[in-house]
Amino acid sequence: MSEMADSSQALIQVNIVAADHPVWHGTAKSVTIPASEGGMGILADHEPVLTVIKGGTVSVVDPAGERHAFEVTDGFISFDSNRLTVAVERGRDVVRTTSEPAGDEA
Amino acid sequence: MGSQLALKSRIASTGSLEKIFNAQEMIASSHIAKARTVALNAKPYADAISDAVQAVVAHTHITHPIVKKEEDNPRVAVLALTADRGMAGAYTSSIIRETEDLLARLDAAGKQPQLYVYGRRGVTYYKYRNRAIADTWEGDTDKPGVEIAEAISNALMSAYMKPASQGGVSELYIVYTEFINMVVQKVRVLRMLPVEVVEAKVEPGPDMARDSDAEAEAQKVRPLYRFEPSLEEVLDAVLPKYIQSRIHECLLEAAASETASRQNAMHTATDNARNLIDSLTRKLNASRQASITQELTEIIGSADALNNKEE
Repeated sequence: MSEMADSSQALIQVNIVAADHPVWHGTAKSVTIPASEGGMGILADHEPVLTVIKGGTVSVVDPAGERHAFEVTDGFISFDSNRLTVAVERGRDVVRTTSEPAGDEA
Repeated sequence: MGSQLALKSRIASTGSLEKIFNAQEMIASSHIAKARTVALNAKPYADAISDAVQAVVAHTHITHPIVKKEEDNPRVAVLALTADRGMAGAYTSSIIRETEDLLARLDAAGKQPQLYVYGRRGVTYYKYRNRAIADTWEGDTDKPGVEIAEAISNALMSAYMKPASQGGVSELYIVYTEFINMVVQKVRVLRMLPVEVVEAKVEPGPDMARDSDAEAEAQKVRPLYRFEPSLEEVLDAVLPKYIQSRIHECLLEAAASETASRQNAMHTATDNARNLIDSLTRKLNASRQASITQELTEIIGSADALNNKEE
């Protein structure tokens, strides 16, 4: 597992999908997700995890340091070998906001 | 003369029918492109879910009821996906035929099938015959959204999760039409519940396919996941979503098939209308020619008779 993580760059491949359309995909330095037990930050080389998430905001920091925020409904995320998949229920509830949020939970 | 008028009015009405069929055909072909896009858009989510389910199955021994249920309950659910509107050729009737076959097979196997119907045509068929229907859904069979998939999967899941004593079911079959291509659609019976999770071959998604083959190879050996908050809660959240996404997939495929078979049916109908117009026009011409010939013969005959008299 660790050799594999070394071979890839320390970036996360993020793929956010809603039930009826793909929302966003790209690379990121870090991602914050609204896990069911509270916010959870994910950096590259995080251990593989499959987590239930509740409605809230997924925020993604891309390699340029810019922050993207996505409103999501409940769903789950899976992370392994630096690939993060965020699967959420409702497409129409997913709103992409590119404005700079306060960044409180990061 | 009378028959000419009748022929003319038949040609006119066939002509307007032809226009309607042609318009329906064009509408159907424009919907197909839309149905394809919708199906493609839903695919990443379905892939994500089935990946997650497989990841769970690969490392854990699941005893969740969705995967395995006690076998002693003879009640099973059958969901038939039909169309809301007609003019789609044999689409609904092949589904109904296959459903009847399945019901007969289940009956013969000592099960008690409960019928769930989606689509107005199917509902009217069974209502007219006074068959017992457990639940029905109508509307939007040519563009099913997430909402209808959610409604159907919630109803079926609650029927499935209920214990046998409260009228629960032990299996779920779906009869739907698989979209193979524009010309070929095939009716299929799918056993949706309990879930048979098979280790599918790892196909890298279109978005993530940039990685090397070695990465895809390494992907086959799944890492040990940590489940949060707990394995049970993850399963409880993911499995119903898996069912819903599978049902949505079936609905979308059925919608694409419905549109394709409507297009084919309308294409044939347009062709038939044109042939009919051709043969009616020929008949009209022949009968007009016949009446002209008759008039000529009458004129010539009477002129001849007048000439003969004068001699």
